[in-house]
Formats: sequence, C-alpha cells, structure tokens
Amino acid sequence: MSPTPINRRAFLAGSGLSLGSAALNHLLAAEDSPPGKRPAYLLPGAKAKRVIFLCMAGGPSHLETFDYKPKLDEMNGKPMPESITRGQPIAQLQGQKLKVQGHLTKFRKHGEGGQYISDFMPWCAKMADDIAIIRSLVTEQINHDPAHTFINTGTAINGRPSMGAWVNYGLGSESKDLPGFVVMTSVGGRNPQPIASRQWGAGFLPSRLQGVEFNSAGDPVHYVGNPAGITRDTQGRLVNAITALDRHRNKVINDPETATRIAAYEMAFRMQASVPELMDVSKEPKHILEMYGAKPGDGSYASNCLLARRLAERGVRFIHLYHRGWDHHGGLVKYMNTCCGLTDKPTWALIQDLKQRDMLDDTLVIWGGEFGRTPMFQGKGGAGRDHHVKGFSMWMAGGGIKGGVGYGETDELGYHAEKNIVHVRDLHATMLHQLGIDHERFSVKHQGLDMRLSGVEKARVVKDILI
Amino acid sequence: MNKKYGLLLSLLPLVTAAASAETLPPPVDFNREIRPILSDKCFSCHGPDKKKRKGRLRLDLEESARDPKKSAIVPGKLKESELYLRITTDDTDERMPPEESGKSLTTEEIELLSRWITEGARWSEHWAYVPPRKHKLPAVKKTAWPTSWIDRFALGHIEKSGREPAPDADPVTLVRRVYFDLTGLPPEPGVVDAFRTDPAPKAYEALVDGLLASEHYGERMAAYWLDLVRFADTVGYHGDQDHSISPYRDWVIDSFNDDLPFDQFTREQLAGDLLPEATTGQLIATGYNRLLQTSHEGGVQAKEYIAMYAADRVRNVSEVWMGATMGCAQCHDHKYDPYTAKDFYAMAAFFADVDDTAHLKNGTNSLPTRREPEISVLSRKQRGRLAVLDKNIADKQALQAKTPAPELAAEIKTLKAERSSLQKTARKTMITRATRPRVTRILPRGDWLDDSGPVVKPGIPEFMGDLAAGKRLTRLDLANWLTDPEEGIGKLNARVIANRVWYLLFGRGLAPGLSDFGGQGVAPAHPELLDNLSLRLLEKSWKLKALVREIVLSRAYRQASLPKAGLATFQAVQRLPAESIRDNALAISGLLVREIGGPSIKPYQPAGYYRHLNFPARKYTPHNDKRQWRRGLYVHWQRQFLHPMLKAFDAPRREECTARRSRSNTPLAALVLLNDPTFVQAAQAFARRILAEGGPSTNSRLDFAFRQAVCRKPDDFERKTLRQLLTAPETRDEQDWTTVARGILNLAETNLRR
Repeated sequence: MSPTPINRRAFLAGSGLSLGSAALNHLLAAEDSPPGKRPAYLLPGAKAKRVIFLCMAGGPSHLETFDYKPKLDEMNGKPMPESITRGQPIAQLQGQKLKVQGHLTKFRKHGEGGQYISDFMPWCAKMADDIAIIRSLVTEQINHDPAHTFINTGTAINGRPSMGAWVNYGLGSESKDLPGFVVMTSVGGRNPQPIASRQWGAGFLPSRLQGVEFNSAGDPVHYVGNPAGITRDTQGRLVNAITALDRHRNKVINDPETATRIAAYEMAFRMQASVPELMDVSKEPKHILEMYGAKPGDGSYASNCLLARRLAERGVRFIHLYHRGWDHHGGLVKYMNTCCGLTDKPTWALIQDLKQRDMLDDTLVIWGGEFGRTPMFQGKGGAGRDHHVKGFSMWMAGGGIKGGVGYGETDELGYHAEKNIVHVRDLHATMLHQLGIDHERFSVKHQGLDMRLSGVEKARVVKDILI
Repeated sequence: MNKKYGLLLSLLPLVTAAASAETLPPPVDFNREIRPILSDKCFSCHGPDKKKRKGRLRLDLEESARDPKKSAIVPGKLKESELYLRITTDDTDERMPPEESGKSLTTEEIELLSRWITEGARWSEHWAYVPPRKHKLPAVKKTAWPTSWIDRFALGHIEKSGREPAPDADPVTLVRRVYFDLTGLPPEPGVVDAFRTDPAPKAYEALVDGLLASEHYGERMAAYWLDLVRFADTVGYHGDQDHSISPYRDWVIDSFNDDLPFDQFTREQLAGDLLPEATTGQLIATGYNRLLQTSHEGGVQAKEYIAMYAADRVRNVSEVWMGATMGCAQCHDHKYDPYTAKDFYAMAAFFADVDDTAHLKNGTNSLPTRREPEISVLSRKQRGRLAVLDKNIADKQALQAKTPAPELAAEIKTLKAERSSLQKTARKTMITRATRPRVTRILPRGDWLDDSGPVVKPGIPEFMGDLAAGKRLTRLDLANWLTDPEEGIGKLNARVIANRVWYLLFGRGLAPGLSDFGGQGVAPAHPELLDNLSLRLLEKSWKLKALVREIVLSRAYRQASLPKAGLATFQAVQRLPAESIRDNALAISGLLVREIGGPSIKPYQPAGYYRHLNFPARKYTPHNDKRQWRRGLYVHWQRQFLHPMLKAFDAPRREECTARRSRSNTPLAALVLLNDPTFVQAAQAFARRILAEGGPSTNSRLDFAFRQAVCRKPDDFERKTLRQLLTAPETRDEQDWTTVARGILNLAETNLRR
C-alpha cells in the first residue's frame, strides 16, 4: 500500500513529531518510498496530538442531555406535526402514530457560558465551561450497525478505514510499546447493542493500523499472556532466539519483510510487559481512583476513562471508548439514570485529570453517540424514544476547542438540525484539522479513487468552536 | 459478438510498432502512460460523469478531446493545444488541474503528455474493455531459457526491462512452493527427499499432477474464491447471527476438484435454480446470491435494506466477474469508467427476483437465524452413498417381494437404518428461488427514499452492448453474458480470472489491480502474456486446472524468488495466508485432521471474545474433538468477530469482495504464533513427535524438527541458538523441547512460501 505520493518516512523522521526510532522502523519498514517532502496534508500549528473518543453506543437522547426545547414540553402527548416527519426515515416507529414526548428531565443553564445541560448529567454540568456543545449534528444511518460504521469511517459501506486508523496513518505512532489505536468497551444500560470489530478496522489501509481492543477480563490483549508455565525469562530467551534465527536465515532468504517481522516480535515481547503494566491501575493514588470511581479490573467505563488517560500519557494516538447501553426505546428515565450514573462522573474526572496534567490542551476529547433520539414517544417498557438522525448533540473539549460554547440548533421540537448544521463529515474535518491534517488533502488511493475520511461531499471545519 | 460491442472494437486504432526510429525513445503508450494521467488528474471534471463535467470537454473520448472547435488537443501541434497551454501556464486561474482539486501534474507527466501530443495524440480503447487477442511469441536473447510459450513471454518481458531471469529455485524451495500454492499445505518430508534426489522435469510434472488431483487442491482454490464472494457463517450486520451456508463452501471445493469449467461454475452460482432440472448441487451453488450481509435488527426499514442489498450484489458481481468497481455508480455516473448510474441499477435488477424481504419478516434472533429459502442437503459424498443405499434397498425389496427371506428383511432393515442416520446429518443451506421480480428504480444519488427515478429492467452496461431479447432478462442471461466469449464478455472475464490465477502463483497479478480493471487501475506492463493466458483458459474450455498446470510447469514459475522482484514475471517471497499458517503448524506437529468439507469448526478462542454480540448473547464453545485440528478454511467465519488468529494474519471479514489480502507483520500476529493455545498445543505435540521420532541425540532431534518444518538441516548457528533453549545439552525434557518447537514454528522461514 503506497500512500499519496508523499514521503512519510523522510517527513516523520525529520519532523518535530517525537517518534521512537524502533517504532519508526516498525511503522515504516514496509513502506519504502523515495525521499521527498513533508506530506501535503499536514497543516502548520496542530493543536491536538491525540484523540479520546467517548462513544455512547446506542444513541443517547439529545433531548435529555443537551438540547432544551420548551415547545417539546408544551406539546407533550400531542400528535407530532406531519409537516416535520413526512418522508423522513424512521426506525422502530414505522407505521405507528407519532406523538410528541416532552423532556423527561429538567434543564438548567450552567457555567459562565450558560449552557443548557440536563439534570441527568450533574458532573458534566460542572465542566460546562470546558466543553463545546454541538446541537446540530446530522448523520445518514438510522440503524445502529451502519450508523457506527458511518461515524467511524464516513460511509456505511463496509471495508473502509476507521478514524483511528486514518489518524495513525496520517501522523504515525508515538508509542514504541503500545499500538497507536486502542479500543475499550464497557456495558450498562438498556439492551446493549452489538458492536462489531469492523468499527475499529483498518479497511484498505495497512492492517497494522487497525484498532487493538484492550480487554478488562482475561488477557488484556489477545494472547499477550505467556502460555501456562512459561516465565518471562523463558519467553524472552525464546523471542531472542527467534529474532536471531530470522536475522541469520534472512541472509539467504533475503525477504525485505524480515526487518518488520523482527521489529514486530520485539514489540510483541515489550507489549507482554507494557500492556499488563498499563492495565494495572492499582498503583494509582486513592484520590485518583475515587475521582473516577474506578475499581481496578472492574471493566467499567470509569476504569476505561482512567486507562484512557494512561494510554494518552504513553503516546497512544487514538483512544476509542465505547459504552454500550444507550438504546433507550423505553424506560428512558431509568436507563438514563443507569447510563449517566456509570459515565457522567468518570467523563468529568477524565477531563479534570487531563487538565491537571496539562494534557487537555493537546488532547481532543469527543463525546457522543452514533445518532440521537426522536422527539416522538416510544413505549417499549415505559416512555422512551426511537433512533433519530436528523438532529442530535455531541460535545468536544480540549485540543484547541473553545470551552463554554454551544454551536448549532435544531428546530423547536428538536427534530431537524436547522442552524449551523454539522454533518458527520464536518466532525471528521474538524477533528483532523485539530490534529494538523487538511482533510481535503488527506487521501489514499483505493480502487482508483482518492479516498478520504471526510468523503467526497464538501466537508467543513467548524471554525466557530476553535480557539 | 453483439453489434455495439463489435463496433467499438472496429474503432480501435491499429497500434503501430516503432520499427523505424531506433534512435528515438519508443512512442508514448496511451493506455499505459497517458490514460492513467488523464484519468487521475482530469476525468473527474472532464470524464464520464455528466453532472460534474466542466466546459463540455471530455478527455476520455477521443472525438471530444480532438474536437477542432475546442482545440483542447491538436495532434502534432503542441503550442496550439489548449491542454498543453493550460497545464504549463503560470497563471493560477488558468492552470489545470485547478488548485482546489488538490491535484497537480509532475514535470514528468507534463513531459509525457507533451510528447504524446507531439507524436499525434493517438487514443486507444481502454485496455480492459478490449478483448484479449492472440499475440506472437516475442523475440528473446536467451533462447535456451524458455521451456514453454509462457516462458517466452515472461522472458521477453524480463529482457525488455533490462533484466535477466532469476536462477531456478532449488528443489526444496520449489517443492514447498508448489505444495503451498496448489494445496495450502506443506509437503511431507519424504516427498521433498525424493524430489531432491530426482528433480528431473518428469518427476516435477508427476508431483504437480498429483497435487492437482489431490482433494486439497479444491480446498486451496476455494479459500480464495470464498474471499472473492465474501463467504461467511454469519449475517454480518447488527446481531451477526449464524446463517446456514456451509454446504455452499463444500460445493465450491468439489467444483474446483472436479475442475468444473468456470463458465458453468458461474452459471450455477448466479442462476443454478434457473437451469433445467437443477440438481441439488446446482441449488446449493445458488447460495452465492445469499452470501451478502443482511440485518435482522428490529426497526430496519425494508426499503432501505433492499436498496443496500441490491448495491451489495452489484459491487460483488462486478468485482468478481468483471474486475470492475461498479459500486461507484450507485450515486452517480462513474467518474473514470463508462458505467452509468443506470447501468448500476440495471445490473441490480437482475437480482430483483431474489427474495430479500422474507428474513426481515420472519428472521429470528436464533442461532442459526432463519433465512428462507433454505433446503436440507447432504454432502456430495453422502448424496452418492444415499443413491447407492436407495438402489440397494429397492433391489432387495424387489427380491423380497418375489422370494421373501428373513435374512433379506434384516439386510433391508440395516440399510434403512444407515439411510436414516445418514439423513439425520443433513445440513440446511440458503439457496435462491426466483420470485416475482421487484420493481427496480434508479435511485437519485443513491437515496432509497427517493422514488422519482425511472424504472429500469435488467440489463448489461450500455457501453458494452444490449442483450434485449424481447423478454425480461434473468440471472441466467447475466451468467451467460459474463462467460460467453463470443456473445458476451467471456474474453474480458477470462482475463480477470487468468490474472488472479497468476497472482495466486506469483504473488502479484500481471495487471496489478486484481479487481480494478477500470480507468484508474494500472494497465498490465505485459499485456501480451495476460492476453494469451486468457485465451488459453478459453481454449481449455474454462478449465482452470489446465491453466494452473501450464503455469506451474513453466520455468518462469520455477525461478528463485527475488527480494525486490519488481516484475510480475518474477517470483516473490510471500508470508503464508492465514489459513495456511494454521494448517502448516498443525501439519508439522502431526495434529492436522485432513477431512474435507462439513459444518464449520470452532477452534480455541479467547474467552469473552463474542461479548459484544447480542440478539442473542453469544457463547463460544470450542470443539474439543478432532474438529479442533481441522484446516483453517473450515473455521467458523464470524463476520463481526473473525477469529483473532485469522484476523491477525490478514484474513478478511468477508463483508466485501477481497481479491488481494495484505500480508502484514504485526506484534498481534507474533503474539498469536507465540501464545495462542492452538499453536502452543501444536508445539507440545511437535515436541512429543521430536522426542518419539527424532532419534537419540539433541542434534538428531534438531535435524528431525527442521526437516519437518522447513525441509532442510539446521546449520551450526541454528543448532547453537536452539540448543541454548534447552536446560541441558542432552535432555528429553518435554517442556524444553516444547520451547524449541515453539521457536521453530515461529520462524519466518516456517511461515513463508518463497
């Protein structure tokens, strides 16, 4: 796979990016392009070095988190105006009478910016001035699986690279003993929707760029533990023997891939130590554990947030957390309490922790689901809401994003984004921009086309929320 | 040859060979050198897509580009050609390609375009749409080298690029290579020894014939085909439930082993149900139309998914059989190729009779889910046995009717018992059964909510002709068109297939884009060999074995691999594909179970790997019997969570057509070979074998182990290094030898085909 006609090796080697030389070799050994210039897609003055994406899988309701619509309460129980819903895609409410569901919580203004945040999220309210809330997101896919694929890859067609793979492709990895793209998941809420490993796939990019899932139970990374009865010392001698034998035999075989393979074995062996060390949060000070609400090894979202910070400290470029449980077709109040109970404080703690370590400035944090939820009532076991793609909310923080601002609006019932609409591709463009990547020039040839994360339609950087 | 297509051919300008001007560089080759530049840098605004076209100029069509009114290109007159002026001007408002396109021309590209205009700006039809024609053998310098026509072309190619053929591969390397290439399995050490002693051409030929006759040949070829057609054991979307399809996989294996001609192979998959008196095998084959990803999520909108499925099928059919990326035309006319959005939907309409909504109504969150129509079938061997049983029973019953005897009654009873237990092993499999075709409309911009587009009937891409027959065309018509060398695009198709066969045997295709024969794909550097191989396949009546045989017997195939091969006519070192990595370790250790076909198998897998699956929640129970040691080809293919071992070695999830797998070397793959229980147990079994069969000393055991794994003896350095893994110089400690075995199974060489 050759990237755009750009010399990444020469650039990365001579650039300000701190890249361990072992990692550099490992990263680039397979790509032997001739010396050249700095990749054309790089912009001067990158604000963020890494991304932590907090995916609230299932689709949290914007109408119970960030999007306050007094009219929604006024019309509670009344038929949804057909003028709004006619010809629109619809999921589980197909063929049903559509009626308005008022807010199932109270909203208050918070922070100096006076941002509306619901009572479900008291901790988020405390950091209202750290985040930029976008209330005008739109996506194109109304079912979970394709909607995740869409937000991760910019298209619903499978087989395209996910954001984390793109970002690592563009900037390289900064860690010599950890993968550049790490995924962690947690569960809690209503009917956890499946999440496919495709969501962190590398698509047509080199497969080494795919996300690596870190597990809270069993081996934190598949097969990272030694076989039963094998000590680290034995394993180390074994790996040394393998690499020595490969190096030796390669004088005859002459396979240019051998150097990469040897680097891979060396990194695998380092990972066998670095991954368990990373995952062991028991040595974190008590007040930190308490701040997150994390119990070592519990596999919770709280633990994952703490691990996200540790991964960020160790140079991992893209950290993607999924919390599964936000698919609130019914029992919305109950399940919002569950989901927010599990995620609200840890998210706040992560932002505070990054801030106190001076890492928030160069870490872009993004919070949101694959879509929002309908202003219309659905009642699968108590009041709830169906999937909704025409207007929903997300927030961004750190990495050169303004705090305490809101951006975009939906209509008076929270259905259509109508002011300053932010399409998923605009979100991608903005994220890449903060990382110092020009989304329009950041392309890879695949099947004869210049593929971009931000797609073929015009995408824009949301400049109003940038510092 | 239909009319329109014939016309297109007759328009082909004659390519004139540069005979006279020996001092000049050879004339610029439009297809190889110019079209890629125009396609990449110009076609998006001056190409087939009428919506995006600027200045009413098309550079993909000769008549538009050379239109004297526009004078974009004035042949032979560089300074009068607007194109030249625009690509060289300093005025940024005028300069092409425009700044905002993010594209620019290199000095070399400008130079090529200039030379081409000066030389007369000759167009030729895009190579991939021109049927292959028979080429004469090229003149070569090293006349003693070639052993066949393939070699003559290969040598011509090699010499033309100023190089020499590589030396012949040594017998051990060759025998390992041909085993992996034709069966995906390593050779038995005895076979290697025999061949090393007698590496004569006759012996090699016998070896090759043996491999082509082996049932493992079908497994190897099937593994590749299953990537192309995206075969998997699960539905793919959302709950990723199991669906019933393993008999289709076995049908593919049988078909390759039978050397079912590729045209028939195509017909049976696309339209077996439409064949007169379709056999069970032909019905199983129609599982092809059901292999796409489906969703059983509550709340899917049928209309949306019907549109998604239609597009999925067009993408797959066009990539597999046409080497084309018609997928782009879902939303707009293709930007680089002559496919229109109408072509896309006309292609989709061929499949409008496949029932795509039943599973949305009655699909369940069960394992497997229901995906009617399904039939219960036995394997081909079992079907054979059943026929024998039926006949026996009938005969004996007839006899019994004439002359009743108690022994006869008992025999009938036994036979019937066998029959009924045989029938109990029947497996369900999805098939195609034609229903009343849905209405297919062109979806403007691919939007399934938009019903304003015109209705289209099944049809082939318009620029390739018209099959109009006064009746609605069927999947069978499509299959026939795809494979008929005279009335359809069989010759073009043969080129796609021949190119992939070459890729399987050399590590790269003669045309590098295995599924992209379009304008943006790279033209073959050596079209003559590819053309002749394609025609050879047709001469052999689409029988792949004959083509494979000719290629592997060639001297070109038998060359030693080169580190920087560069040319597709050289051999390249390749890491084994995922399935063979597994098969190889199991074979070396002696654990491999070589049964053919059957339901998919479940090897060890990390606990909790399926925890993100739901509807229903999934429990993975590995098979703790001999199924544990079957070939990688049979591993349960869970699209959303492909077995981590397969994934680590670049096996695709099979959501889309995969013609080429990447060959990565990652830390995750290293961890699999080091620590996956399958490989650890293989090492333990290997260690026991080493101790049981490897003779009395550490040295003899190392010899034995090396022979099993890499078919050679270790050298001093290798001995010394491996000895250091033992806790005593001479030991029978199983743990020690397991470490050595792990080391050997982890070697690069063990996992390479070179």
